[in-house]
Amino acid sequence: MKCGKTPLSFRGIAWCNLKRRPFRTVCLISLVAVLACVLFGGSAIIGSVVSGTDGLSKRLGADILILPSGYDKTIEGILLRGEPSTFFMEREWAEKIYEVEGVIAASPQLMVASFNASCCSIPAQIIGIEQDTDFIVEPWIRTSLPGRLSDGDIVVGGAVSGKPGGRLNFFGREYRIAAKMENTGTGFDGSIFMDMDSARRAARDRSEMTGDPPPPGGAISSVAVLTDGRFTPNAMADRIYSRFGYGKSGIAVVPAKEIIGNVSGGLRTLAGFVTAFAAVLWLLCVLALSVVFSVMTNERKREFGILRSLGITRKKLASLVVLESAAISAAGGLTGIFLSALLILPFRVYIKTTISMPYMHMPPAQMLAAAAGSLAVSFAAGMLASLCSSARICARETYGVIREGDA
Amino acid sequence: MIIEALCLKKKYFRDENSFMAVDGASLSVGEGEFVCVTGRSGSGKTTLLNMLAGLLPPDSGSVTFEGREYGGMNDDELSELRNTRLGYIMQGPGVLANFTVTQNVILPHVISGREGDPTDRAMSLLEQTGIRGLAAQYPSSLSGGELRRVAVARALLMSPKLLIADEPTGDLDEETTRGIMDLFSSIAKEGTAILMVTHDAETARRCDRRYDMKAGRITSPGAHLG
Ligand SMILES: Nc1ncnc2c1ncn2[C@@H]1O[C@H](COP(=O)(O)OP(=O)(O)O)[C@@H](O)[C@H]1O
Ligand SMILES: [Mg+2]
Repeated sequence: MKCGKTPLSFRGIAWCNLKRRPFRTVCLISLVAVLACVLFGGSAIIGSVVSGTDGLSKRLGADILILPSGYDKTIEGILLRGEPSTFFMEREWAEKIYEVEGVIAASPQLMVASFNASCCSIPAQIIGIEQDTDFIVEPWIRTSLPGRLSDGDIVVGGAVSGKPGGRLNFFGREYRIAAKMENTGTGFDGSIFMDMDSARRAARDRSEMTGDPPPPGGAISSVAVLTDGRFTPNAMADRIYSRFGYGKSGIAVVPAKEIIGNVSGGLRTLAGFVTAFAAVLWLLCVLALSVVFSVMTNERKREFGILRSLGITRKKLASLVVLESAAISAAGGLTGIFLSALLILPFRVYIKTTISMPYMHMPPAQMLAAAAGSLAVSFAAGMLASLCSSARICARETYGVIREGDA
Repeated sequence: MIIEALCLKKKYFRDENSFMAVDGASLSVGEGEFVCVTGRSGSGKTTLLNMLAGLLPPDSGSVTFEGREYGGMNDDELSELRNTRLGYIMQGPGVLANFTVTQNVILPHVISGREGDPTDRAMSLLEQTGIRGLAAQYPSSLSGGELRRVAVARALLMSPKLLIADEPTGDLDEETTRGIMDLFSSIAKEGTAILMVTHDAETARRCDRRYDMKAGRITSPGAHLG
């Protein structure tokens, strides 16, 4: 809209007041924009990380994981950061654990890491599952794959490139992508799932290539355990340890919550810190804007006096001020969110590695909600700040009386 | 009678002390009359005009405009009256810097919220006030006399019954003053009553009647001149 033209509307008065004072307007907009930028940036990053770990704890339906001792950090890397590993333990552990009182399900997995070489399409974590006992990935693969996984079929995580029907090579063998899962924001997104027998063959293929010792016959890497809930995961871990002998058994019993808990504990601190920072910033912003609006209102006394002398009511004059600050707040909020998105999206990868949470994940709907929330909160800051000024216009006679001294 | 003020009083506070800026002033302006108020700076003229325009509530006394008493009117009613029945030309520069000359002139119409495009009427008023050529300019490029003419044109937009002007020639040279006074005379002849404040006795001679103000009081009873 262009200023300087007639006819002029009431809204046009507000618009031209903003447009004809570009420096003042830009300064005010910037102030709100900074607020919105921080609010949206903060909520987007924290939201992604939180929903990433939420996804993980939902996906990992196990109470306890049994691993070869010393591999508890390795499993964290696989689940949280998608760092592929290969390790083995004996098949018997699945049955042994199943016999412990309180265990209602125990299912083995086999972990094989593919690598970045001509033999393999991509470096990825291959996870073999026992389809008869599995309760972790099975129900979740079910949603994308109706039947059973037959030999040579794989299900790929959401971040793996390739479509259903496509092919991927691992250790010189070709596999058919039977299904692709949704992104979950966990290490599973970069994983390849196959049947236990196929995975054992892949492990043998791998050791032939690397020269590593071949896996013992019927090897597994981990056992996922579901308990009946009579004992806490920690108590269950103690029972398993005491049954098989601390230290001597060669296994690590890790309550699943501990893996996720490590992350979410740190997250909670981070989220709290960012929230506190945002709150302080919000208050500062409201204060600064209040001062600016108040100074501005004082400076515009004569302008308001002229409008009053021309017959504008107090209410309408206040609504003019509200209209102007609403435009500033909205423009500032939108600019800030836009800038924030511009900063976050290209640097997503960098941010992920910096906070060592590669599996950040925020569904678009949630992203939109964060944007709308940040916009609302920064808009509210601008409006709140102008409230005092407009209330003063409504209440006092100052803005009607023009004296020589006022210029 | 268009406007009638009875015994208006207004007290102001300066530091700890109070003083009467307007102290029992009464005056009236009839249909089509050109009335002047003279007085030295600080005698309370502006305060009086602000009360007459309903911008400032008096401590006591009453103002009646076309038979309606301000005391019984709310802000909406008083604003409407200022918008349509009473043109007010304030002391000093009274033009909004963010709007062109034409936009400034049509502001009362915009404020009224009425339908229609007042641009043609604004143009003919700019013609009448002799600044038609400046219609598209912003106020920053106008001289003091030109700005005053914009304010006059704007005050006349809604065809008010009364024009109140606070020292409209106060800061102008003789030549320009004469031009503005000629304009006022012609407006008065066309039937719009004028109440004008000036501290210049020479200028006041062009009025039909004249009140004198001193320390908040009207000292001469609005005698007819000439
Ligand atoms: N809002 C105010 N508060 C305090 N004193 C005021 C105020 N407005 C005007 N005055 C004082 O009241 C007196 C009359 O002012 P004013 O009506 O502007 O006089 P004039 O227009 O005749 O020069 C002056 O002494 C002025 O300083
Ligand atoms: Mg004065």
